[in-house]
Amino acid sequence: MDLRFTEQQEILKKSARDFLTKECPKAKVRELEKDPKGYDPALWQKMAELGWLGFNIPEDYEGMGYSFEDLNMHIEEVGKNILPGPYISTVVNTFAIVAEGTEEQKKEFLPKISNGQLILTLAWLEENGQFDASGITLKAAHKGNDFVLNGTKMFVDSAHVSNYMIVIARTKDGAGEDGITAFLVDSKSAGLKTEVIPTIAADHLCEVVFKDVAVSAKNVLGKVDKGWAILQMLVRKGSILKSAESLGGLQAVVDMTIAYSKERVQYDRPIGAFQALQHKMSDMWISMGTSKYLLYEAAWMESEGMPSAKEASMTKAYINEAYKLVSALGVKLHGGIGTSSDHDVPLYYRRAKAADTVYGSTDFHREMVAQQIGLK
Amino acid sequence: MDFRLTDEQVARRKEIYKVCEELDKKKPKSWLGFESPFDNEEGWAFHRYCAKEFAKRGWLALSWPKEYGGTGTMMDKVLLAEARGYYDLPGSDIFGISMLAPTLIAAGSEELKKEFLPKIANAEIMFCELWSEPNAGSDLAALTASAIKKGDEFIVNGQKTWNTGAHYADWAFGVYKSDPNAKKHHNLTFILCDMKSKGITVKGIPYMNGAHVYNEVYLDDVHMPAKYVVGQENEGWAVVNVLAGFERSNIDMVMGLVRGVEDLVKFCNENKRDGKPLAHDPMIRNKIADLAASVEAVRTLAYRVADQQNRNEMGLMDAAAVKIFASELLEKFGQISTDILGPYGQVKQSKFAKLNGTAEYNYQACFVPIVSMGTNEIQRNIIAWYGLGLPRMK
Ligand SMILES: Cc1cc2nc3c(=O)[nH]c(=O)nc-3n(C[C@H](O)[C@H](O)[C@H](O)COP(=O)(O)OP(=O)(O)OC[C@H]3O[C@@H](n4cnc5c(N)ncnc54)[C@H](O)[C@@H]3O)c2cc1C
Repeated sequence: MDLRFTEQQEILKKSARDFLTKECPKAKVRELEKDPKGYDPALWQKMAELGWLGFNIPEDYEGMGYSFEDLNMHIEEVGKNILPGPYISTVVNTFAIVAEGTEEQKKEFLPKISNGQLILTLAWLEENGQFDASGITLKAAHKGNDFVLNGTKMFVDSAHVSNYMIVIARTKDGAGEDGITAFLVDSKSAGLKTEVIPTIAADHLCEVVFKDVAVSAKNVLGKVDKGWAILQMLVRKGSILKSAESLGGLQAVVDMTIAYSKERVQYDRPIGAFQALQHKMSDMWISMGTSKYLLYEAAWMESEGMPSAKEASMTKAYINEAYKLVSALGVKLHGGIGTSSDHDVPLYYRRAKAADTVYGSTDFHREMVAQQIGLK
Repeated sequence: MDFRLTDEQVARRKEIYKVCEELDKKKPKSWLGFESPFDNEEGWAFHRYCAKEFAKRGWLALSWPKEYGGTGTMMDKVLLAEARGYYDLPGSDIFGISMLAPTLIAAGSEELKKEFLPKIANAEIMFCELWSEPNAGSDLAALTASAIKKGDEFIVNGQKTWNTGAHYADWAFGVYKSDPNAKKHHNLTFILCDMKSKGITVKGIPYMNGAHVYNEVYLDDVHMPAKYVVGQENEGWAVVNVLAGFERSNIDMVMGLVRGVEDLVKFCNENKRDGKPLAHDPMIRNKIADLAASVEAVRTLAYRVADQQNRNEMGLMDAAAVKIFASELLEKFGQISTDILGPYGQVKQSKFAKLNGTAEYNYQACFVPIVSMGTNEIQRNIIAWYGLGLPRMK
């Protein structure tokens, strides 16, 4: 047992921290919230040059071939800083092609993703807001060897600026896990319309309406009717990595709050001298500690190829709640300034809510845990 | 990062679990949980029996220096705590093994080490702790029981309280005011004493559930030989701090929770309400899953503490975090499991009880780890002051 970061991981963390401090200050974060695109293409290109978009892509396809654990550490740093745009979703969705893509698909997509030329998003949720298989109703009708898609997807990250999307659709009647297929769909396809939904973190989630969108059979990802397992894999890996981002945000709030409590003076003493606040900060710090090693265990298991569905769901359910709780305390402990949109703490508080439904809500993941621990 | 145990540790763990599984079968019928050693003769006898079983395998001296009979590593010690926690077994004297032995190793004279360490390792003597007094709890340094030096003895007078197991213990370690004129923190002496000494009266105080756990201890002209002073005379406060500095991973408490959740899952699968297994109730599923995730979170943090200990690094803040979080999780566990049992949540161990009365037990027993060993508020102060660098209360 050795629960320390490796030297290589420390270097990765530091380089991510240095890069984002310089390239993505909070002024830029605020600017991008209002920007129609929601991300900075120039920054995206720099990230690609550093290899960030190819971390989890094998070297044979122009990627870096890093381990899942390394990626996890890296994303924790990204979360600390906040990086607007479809970075985490592109990286997570890439796993579907790495694991399930045909040789042809890998050759076509992976180098482009790695080089920053292709934003890949996931069209999963629908108007019913469900995370389970019966929530998938968008229809993909067979037309010869090809398919025609009709229906609406919701909360699709940055669909309006994406190049491709993995669309989770029904290829067979019914509401079960069988009969769901994953497609790689060109975001510029005829009949496809996107519209940005105003959301709490201004993170450019979109409604995507499919009207007779034609998709070729060669763009099926994995096997027809067997797409649910691919989505499960994305949910598992995405739950861990999204939690890494959240943990980073949680740490940023803890650090900011402690620092502020040492500076701000009321009643002739720093407010950090008040025990009412000290104990809340201790609790924030404890939440951080318990979140950390739960996440690191899940990431390590995933990295080692062990079954990690239970740990991934525990992590997402736990950190969802921890991040909301800690960032709300962060707001309160800052007093008036903490409630202002000019302050950084609410940036995190809003993102805690945004993060909690990505790859499954707390209740969804608790149900996954319930099944995994043997509740009949 | 690597959460894996070495092959050697896996083998050791298997051996330890096997022994603990066998001991589990020998538990007395009245056994209820971690305070059971103190409640009755049967519980105490089982505590001693388990201690002997561990001692004969060298497991009570795990991680000690070789010259004092040490065997094994810190990680082996963690593995034993893990197995004991999972099977809810006593046998590791919290006062002798977890507190006094490492203190003697760090701050005791060679004579004291030679006299006491073998007896502790062999489970020959069990200790109790005479620290708290009616007017000195969290603020321990305010204590007033006095130890006045006379020749090569101290004459001790005063009252101690909340002393766990003092009614069964063979020896005690205590702190007393030895110099009424010296400054606070330089006026106390840490002394070991035989509980059979003349002048000691032990009077039980019932815990809220009626169990006999702790006591009042009256000291009336008790003669304590000066050779039993640990550390320097009048510098007992430093020894208290050395003792308090041995961070505990609390993995045993955490593993008790792991087992508790397993038992609750089993119960909900096997028992029906309104014709359906309790496990089908979405509210119950949600609550148990929440508990399970929290237990896993604190389990991983406890391993982080263990990993630090194993490398001789300090993990005091993380250890405080585990103590606070695990004990408050036990409180929540007690509440949720009694809720799930409905009206049966209030039933004590008896033929009427479900889950052998453990839910009702935990609902009350959770305050033992919350209040003792430095209350959770004191632990939060420690994190705030020493971990987060916030201004210390004057
Ligand atoms: C089950 C059990 C077993 C015990 N076993 C032993 C034993 O074997 N030997 C022994 O010597 N003692 C033992 N104790 C005593 C224990 O150490 C004390 O109860 C504990 O230190 C608290 O002291 P107190 O009871 O006087 O409470 P107080 O110190 O009076 O505390 C009352 C409340 O005030 C809070 N408080 C006090 N000071 C502060 C502060 N500075 N900041 C914030 N909050 C504060 C406390 O957290 C608590 O909530 C045991 C206690 C229990 C419950």
